[in-house]
Amino acid sequence: MTAQSIPADLLLAAIREAGVQDVVLVPDTHQRTVLDLLMDDEQIRTVHCSTEDEAVAVAAGLIIGGRRPMMQIQHAGLYASVNNLRGVALDGRLPIVLLIGLLGRDPELEPEQDGSSMVRLCRPLLETLDIPSHLLDGPDDLHHVAEAFDQAAERNGPVALLVGAPTS
Amino acid sequence: MSEMTDQNDDRDNNSRQRMSVESALDVLARRRDDQVVVGTMTANGVWREKSPSDLNLPVLGFMGGASGLGLGVALSQPDRDVWVIDGDGSLMMQLGSLGTVAGAAPGNLVHIVVHNGVYETSGSQPLPSQQRIDFAKMAEGAGYAQTASFGDAEQFDAAIDELLAADGPTLIQLYTRPGGRFYTARPTPPGSTPAFARMWPPVAEALAK
Repeated sequence: MTAQSIPADLLLAAIREAGVQDVVLVPDTHQRTVLDLLMDDEQIRTVHCSTEDEAVAVAAGLIIGGRRPMMQIQHAGLYASVNNLRGVALDGRLPIVLLIGLLGRDPELEPEQDGSSMVRLCRPLLETLDIPSHLLDGPDDLHHVAEAFDQAAERNGPVALLVGAPTS
Repeated sequence: MSEMTDQNDDRDNNSRQRMSVESALDVLARRRDDQVVVGTMTANGVWREKSPSDLNLPVLGFMGGASGLGLGVALSQPDRDVWVIDGDGSLMMQLGSLGTVAGAAPGNLVHIVVHNGVYETSGSQPLPSQQRIDFAKMAEGAGYAQTASFGDAEQFDAAIDELLAADGPTLIQLYTRPGGRFYTARPTPPGSTPAFARMWPPVAEALAK
């Protein structure tokens, strides 16, 4: 397999088509080009957080108040957010969709074969937490973005999207 | 910490005046209208007795999350005031949220920090900072629109209307005496619906009206 870079405008279009109103984020180097577009976007609000744990709580508050947020973080932030993913998203049964960049991933390998623990442990951790995940390994996978929101609503819980290669 | 745990003594061992959490929350309860109130830790139990409402949103099972949760609600409901009744130990766990709140700058958010200097729910062990930390100064440094501190309920009562009328984000630090409350966790029966999953939907429903 080879993970392909997704152009930022295509990923942003998929986020828009999913009806996202707020992107709650801690910056991810892997998705830098998307962040550049998001911060200039007039339709989607960005909420910049200090930690990913906090971002889960902010996203939950937005949902409770009637908005449709999405979290955008890096894999390291997934590990930092575990307590609130458990206590807020899972225990609270809140449909939070997370867009997670697999920074440093070898695009020729499955994430579980990667030499970096941050890449390698990502999906096993999500499985342990009973959070479904979908790899975005190229533009053909962008249909997962809108589907993730449907899946999150159906199961009343979080769903993760993993960006496999740096966006362009 | 011995002086702080004496409920008959109004001053801690830094000579800082402290009030009871009940008298502090009474001041807020008298002003309660249609605000969403995000409560956490021991103050949450006191608050829910003083001001029962469908718009009380408790933080149950994720200590430290009150400021972030309140920020999300405040950003989603710009025409409604949101009060966060935070704890000092709780805020210490997400101290960066002071910067997040200041950056997002919701004018409708009032962040109340009940500062008793201890982790009361686990048996009143001291915070790492003991009693010295000053969240109002931190919030001012982070960029909150206004901050204030009170250790006397009458002074708090005299000042609060002006604070609530001004644009936020506002941080109000309330120096209180530990009440000696602590909680032991009971086993959760398998298959139970977690408390947070039961408690946020009525708030969402009320906000959607």
